[in-house]
Amino acid sequence: MSTLPVGLSRDLSAKRVMRATVGGQDLVVWRATNGEISAWDNRCPHRGMALSHGFVRGNTLACLYHGWHYNGAGTCTYIPAHPDLDPPATIRTNRFSVVEQDGVIWVRTDGEAQAPDLPGGLEPLRVFIVAASADQVQCGAAQVPYEGQMADAGAVLHFGAVSVMLLLSPLGDGRTQVTTLASAGLTVAQRSALSRWCEATRRHVEAQQEEAA
Amino acid sequence: MSSFTLYNYVLSGNCYKVRLMAALLGVEYDTVAVDFYPGFEHRSEPMLALNPSGTLPILTADDMVLTETQAMLGWLAAKFDPTGRWYPADDPVVSGEVLQWLGVASRLTGSVGAARLHAMLDWPVDGEAVRKDALKELQGFELLLTDRVFAGQTWLVGDHPTIADIACFPYVALSPDAGLEHDGFPAIRNWLYAVRSLPGFVTMPGIHQLHELREGAHG
Ligand code: FES
Repeated sequence: MSTLPVGLSRDLSAKRVMRATVGGQDLVVWRATNGEISAWDNRCPHRGMALSHGFVRGNTLACLYHGWHYNGAGTCTYIPAHPDLDPPATIRTNRFSVVEQDGVIWVRTDGEAQAPDLPGGLEPLRVFIVAASADQVQCGAAQVPYEGQMADAGAVLHFGAVSVMLLLSPLGDGRTQVTTLASAGLTVAQRSALSRWCEATRRHVEAQQEEAA
Repeated sequence: MSSFTLYNYVLSGNCYKVRLMAALLGVEYDTVAVDFYPGFEHRSEPMLALNPSGTLPILTADDMVLTETQAMLGWLAAKFDPTGRWYPADDPVVSGEVLQWLGVASRLTGSVGAARLHAMLDWPVDGEAVRKDALKELQGFELLLTDRVFAGQTWLVGDHPTIADIACFPYVALSPDAGLEHDGFPAIRNWLYAVRSLPGFVTMPGIHQLHELREGAHG
């Protein structure tokens, strides 16, 4: 499994927690008060409950169920039922490598995350999920016109002066999360129109799946 | 003196809209508990006499009887919010936008609400069809909310929460009850968080208090 996007930096502000998936791995991704981001297996080391239901306290993530706190290194720092105990250092979450680059949060579950060098002049547009494989999304997207124009198939789709790039993260259940980048500096109306193109792409690709089924 | 009476069922997202709006406006009221399930009391003769359509909630105040949830939100805001921010009706465009979202809220109730009833109470509907319908509504809602994100805005209309946010909030928040998670909907996720952060916010089963905002909580 390579380094894959799990979301946009702008969609996860400080002190917030989200659930994400890459290649079937259930993740909790959270941002500490100091801005530091972490991506862990979405299971609390205590009893295995989902950490994505937890909440941020300072620079720790607190599990909703029995309130154990974990710092950015994944180490348990506090157990409410034993407030005077220094939790053993062996209690740790299962951490994954995470980096933020180009406004995108990238995770790798089997090694050091390294975000690819993206073409310049692009910025994040939005994230959405399509019920189809990454290949099907990639092919289908090139068949959907934007403002009456067809794009040349390629890693970046060019509709005249407006460019779009789709970063594809297989979720492991037949669906694909699509992180969309678009030309920097577009107007709100253009971004809104491209966002509708994303919906049209989803409908097109999913309709192709239904026909094939 | 309490200002109105709400015929209420605690698990109903529509009843919750009214409780939430009243709480945010700081309005006191009386409730009459109605045994929607399994008693089907809302379809009993005394209830049908009050509301012939046999739905919940019902709001009574003096001689007025309201049976449409979105109308109750409008009445509450018009009556109890002297600032007019919760139901801005002066500007025709703004007012049109608020009413438009109330229509969206009705569709969310009809789709996500039906999928949720099916999942929770095994309501006699085509489960797969209502779930598909609900997913489509949520995708549409995410699209419209993403437009708000592009515009640098948090709320559905203008820069203050309105009855539109309250009308849409419960069934979007409750969609996981129907197996529709918010994972692929970042704009929805952040908007839900903003609503839950409002001062005076109250909960219902399935919609919790934000733990991090609880004063003095350590755990
Ligand atoms: S399961 Fe997380 S603290 Fe108990």
